[in-house]
Amino acid sequence: MLYREAGQFKSTYAADMAIFPIRQDRMALWLLLAVAFLGVPLLAHFRIWPLGSDYFLRAILIPFLILSLATVGLNILMGYCGQISLGSGAFMAIGAYSTYKFATGVHLPLAWFGTAISIDPLPVLPSILLGGVMSAVVGILFGIPSLRIKGLYLAVATLAAQFFFDWVFIRVKWFTNYTPSGSVAAPEITIFGYVFHTPIERYLLCLAFVAVFAVISKNLVRGNLGRQWMAIRDMDIAAELMGIRPLYAKLTAFAISSFIVGIAGALFAFVYLGAWEPLAFNIDRSFQLLFMVIIGGLGSILGSFLGAAFILILPILLDQGPHALGIPVTVETVSLMVLVVTGALICYLLVVEPLGFARLWSVAKEKLRLWPYPY
Amino acid sequence: MKADVETRPVSASAAAKARGDVLLSVDNVSLSFGGVRALRDVSFDIRKGEIRAIIGPNGAGKTSMLNVINGFYHPQGGIITFKGKRRHDMRPYLAASQGIARTFQNVALFRGMSTLDNIMTGRTLKMRRGILAQAIYWGASQREEIRHRKAVEHIIDFLEIKHIRKTPVGKLPYGLQKRVELGRALATEPELLLLDEPMAGMNLEEKQDMSRFILTVRDTFDTTIALIEHDMGVVMDLSDRIVVLDYGRKIADGTPGEVQRNQAVIDAYLGIPH
Ligand SMILES: Nc1ncnc2c1ncn2[C@@H]1O[C@H](COP(=O)(O)OP(=O)(O)OP(=O)(O)O)[C@@H](O)[C@H]1O
Ligand SMILES: [Mg+2]
Repeated sequence: MLYREAGQFKSTYAADMAIFPIRQDRMALWLLLAVAFLGVPLLAHFRIWPLGSDYFLRAILIPFLILSLATVGLNILMGYCGQISLGSGAFMAIGAYSTYKFATGVHLPLAWFGTAISIDPLPVLPSILLGGVMSAVVGILFGIPSLRIKGLYLAVATLAAQFFFDWVFIRVKWFTNYTPSGSVAAPEITIFGYVFHTPIERYLLCLAFVAVFAVISKNLVRGNLGRQWMAIRDMDIAAELMGIRPLYAKLTAFAISSFIVGIAGALFAFVYLGAWEPLAFNIDRSFQLLFMVIIGGLGSILGSFLGAAFILILPILLDQGPHALGIPVTVETVSLMVLVVTGALICYLLVVEPLGFARLWSVAKEKLRLWPYPY
Repeated sequence: MKADVETRPVSASAAAKARGDVLLSVDNVSLSFGGVRALRDVSFDIRKGEIRAIIGPNGAGKTSMLNVINGFYHPQGGIITFKGKRRHDMRPYLAASQGIARTFQNVALFRGMSTLDNIMTGRTLKMRRGILAQAIYWGASQREEIRHRKAVEHIIDFLEIKHIRKTPVGKLPYGLQKRVELGRALATEPELLLLDEPMAGMNLEEKQDMSRFILTVRDTFDTTIALIEHDMGVVMDLSDRIVVLDYGRKIADGTPGEVQRNQAVIDAYLGIPH
């Protein structure tokens, strides 16, 4: 069947403003959702290739989903609102440690006031959401400088946030419940009495989170708030003249972005890692998310998924590819190659196509739409 | 409506209309940047429903005047009264919420967004749904989007830019960009519309289109317009009254006929030193 919008006349604005106005796109989406929600669990259940072992679910699909979610969050801030951030690892950490504290019970002695704040351990789901809220609050605080500083200087400020929180979660033992090694283990994931234990269950849990937040993000970016963000990104002076308050636009972007990144951090810690150290959320993680956003496409929700997939699959391809061809490569060569390819690709995209894979994808679709008539 | 505008003797009917109350008055406004005195004791007023031109040689302070009116620049001295109220500490978004919209000398569109989205940003102040409703989208937020989309489509029809609705504005030719910028300003339904050289860099046909749009906006939307323009033919045709600035000072103020005969204006444009 041809990829065409000819003949699909939209008689209402509602139809024209739908998330996927073109029928073939909608069908592709339903197919994808069917594969994700039914196909993958079924294959995994009956141990059919490529889900014969847990490896694919555990080591590829689950981190892919969680990091895609984090990338969507970062993309809202960077791609849509144009505020550069090098601190997304820190916001994942805030989400993770806050969730951990809420899930294991908060006891904060306030000696000076002669009292203490005590909260009993909360169930996992509210803990994760509260983890997101904590991350959003910190995001707002670190977003305030963005009203004064831009570009490189803002990047440095967010970098400072990254190092500050790295330090906090290593040094302030309260966050890790005074475990001697500084590494913590997540409690069992129980939601409404159901224990998420097997990789399939955990995968579905992540998928549900990702689906919900992808829809929310898409709704926000195509609506009034999204337009305000993009207006601030493209021309802040003119935006102000349309009645857009920079304070409101930027801080909502910081809040919502950090909320989503924080939730991704909580999922990364609880569902993917299970037990983790502060190192899991260091500057490398921030750069990883940054690369995912740039490669996938600034200002594209779809691109966030493409970017995350690429960055995760690249090392596997570079490792397995030569092996399959019978070329022996060492682990060092592979990790070096990953850096080279990623770096070269980022340079290429930044210079030639700042909108990343998502843009290449939509150009291809545009061509296909007109094919075989070039005009 | 279109034919109506074209066949009528334009300036005569325009002059007849320019008898409204004072909408904005500027009294003894002074503005300087370090040593540069961009505005010196400038006073004039803009009446409801008129097209008020601000003209003057390069660097006369015309753009600075608009920047003062919509709150980008804060004058060191003088009083600005809008809709009968004296204004203090103005910020651009406050000016917008009071009904002042603006286009720029160098197009200032949101380059990464489509024509439609650019014009939709003009509706920001009229949209009331909170973040949660927008995140859910279906229901209240969608109805609001559709309502404003209709208003915006009306403007798109009027400006004859239907065919570029979904095009990213960065890809449009200059003349169309200027038109989209006008559309974005109109979407705010302003009481006072400030146009900074809306016809700069346009060919004759584009200028005629733009003139027609400006007149129709005034006549059908009841918008008061302040217009900076270098093309004297256009200025004389469109405007009801003209302020002339030179080196930051007001040197003349009156109807097109009066201004054309004014010796100080002739000297300023011929570059006679003073
Ligand atoms: N932000 C600023 N900082 C310093 N000087 C400024 C600034 N804005 C304007 N000026 C100066 O104020 C004077 C008036 O400038 P303005 O842009 O208002 O002139 P204009 O009448 O709009 O000229 P043009 O016809 O060239 O657009 C000029 O001398 C200009 O250099
Ligand atoms: Mg100017």
